Amino acid sequence: MDRQTVERVARAAHIKLTEEELDRYSSDLSEILTYFELLDEAPGCENWGVNPIEVADVLRDDEPRMDIDPDQLLRGMNTYEGYVRGPRLS
Amino acid sequence: MSADAVLSKLKEINGKYSMFHAMTDDTSADGAKFLFSAKDNLTSKDMETCSGSKILIGYRPAFDATSIAKMREAGGKLIGKTNMDEFGFGTFSTNSGLEVPRNPYDLERACGGSSGGSACAAAVIEDHVSLGVSTGGSICCPASFCGVYGIAPTYGRVSRYGLIDYGNSLDKIGVLSAKATDLKKYMKVIAGKDEKDPTSCVQPDFKTDYRKMKSVAIPKEGTEGLSKDVETAFKDAVENLVRMGIDVDYVDMPSLKYAMPAYYVLATSEASTNLARYVGMRYGQQEGDLSLKFDDYFTSFRSQYFGDEAKRRILLGTFTRMVGFRDRYYAKALQVRKVVIDDYKRILADHDAVLAPTMPFTAPRFDDISKMSALDSYKADYLTVPANIAGTPHMSVPCGYDSEGMPIGMQFVADHWNEDVLFSMAEDWEKEFDIRAPEVGA
Repeated sequence: MDRQTVERVARAAHIKLTEEELDRYSSDLSEILTYFELLDEAPGCENWGVNPIEVADVLRDDEPRMDIDPDQLLRGMNTYEGYVRGPRLS
Repeated sequence: MSADAVLSKLKEINGKYSMFHAMTDDTSADGAKFLFSAKDNLTSKDMETCSGSKILIGYRPAFDATSIAKMREAGGKLIGKTNMDEFGFGTFSTNSGLEVPRNPYDLERACGGSSGGSACAAAVIEDHVSLGVSTGGSICCPASFCGVYGIAPTYGRVSRYGLIDYGNSLDKIGVLSAKATDLKKYMKVIAGKDEKDPTSCVQPDFKTDYRKMKSVAIPKEGTEGLSKDVETAFKDAVENLVRMGIDVDYVDMPSLKYAMPAYYVLATSEASTNLARYVGMRYGQQEGDLSLKFDDYFTSFRSQYFGDEAKRRILLGTFTRMVGFRDRYYAKALQVRKVVIDDYKRILADHDAVLAPTMPFTAPRFDDISKMSALDSYKADYLTVPANIAGTPHMSVPCGYDSEGMPIGMQFVADHWNEDVLFSMAEDWEKEFDIRAPEVGA
């Protein structure tokens, strides 16, 4: 993976890399992806899923309830007048 | 040693081994039935939970993970949160933003990862059980390196509610202990359906006849690339199994060589999306410059606080999910998972378990680990990732020691929902094999 691709991927992932990191990850990820070429020769199959076991939807009654007191959840957050503080949107 | 005596020496012991990131200040067990610890990616109300990452320093969860809550309900006292690789990203517990646990048999060596602190606690503290989490081998690897028993159950057997996700389709909560009987005892405590984790709701009950293991299959591909000491210890252990009356067959399992790349594609794909939530708001580190635009604010936190391996896995997982690469990597890896599962099912139709050494070598020294490339480290997982990608229950038991006295483990893999045969095997094996407990002193 060349430096430009690493930089593009990092931007998508919201990570800013130093020049040294760009070089290092470019080298590491190239080596790893070369090894992953093994997957090209691996047999494929039908009927594959995203979980190793069959998972069925399990629904509960749609009734509002409070599992955790919101005040407790807010206790560890940076808040202002009960709202979570965040950066500017624009 | 009594529970109170353990608590009175806890800080001293931790000073030597660094197994805990957070621990109780209590010096009395207050009548608890047993003491336990838990990997630091399981949320706990009374202790900071960081998952080995600097980005979560200061996070005090408002709720217990279901597995921790169940251990407390059974009379357990949580004494510490164990050190680990950041978010579980590692084979040696050295990829930590916090403290690195030291091997109980040689302080200059790693405990294995990523549940390294849990394995260390299980080996060092008398009558102790620790909850670990396995995504690609993170229970069995450290169990092997620290000379204890470790079990990762079928995917979905234990609720993942309160687990800080690494890979949602791979994460499994299990148990580590120096006593084989603890595996059954505490897995029964933490297993079960939980409406807060739908993947736990499809499970059948534990089988309770605890049938004996009668036959094992050893894949030829699982005995390649071993160190001489591991090869010798494994051979001796297999002879011991034969003496116990267990049939041993050697089989081909060609899909094993594809499991490692498939695992790293799936695990990093899932991790890169899970870690998108860590942006300097709501959890952990939140002291940033709020005048920044939101993209810059998020980027500044993630760049500053994620460690080297976390960034590498985020980059890898983001890349393999990108348009143009998704079919080649992610979709193919999902197909390989199915092929590996089918291979296990084929072999387990005629055998109770698939057997191989747990790790190809014994616990390496920290200076040797620092010379390994990322790919070298990934390759070290080739014996543990197949069962993890398949979601099949697997267990490491101590089976020997190398020429320098370092523990060696072997790993049994059973079919989905067949933990019972692993419990029986662990207890039978314990009668045949004497653990050389590490010399513990603070």
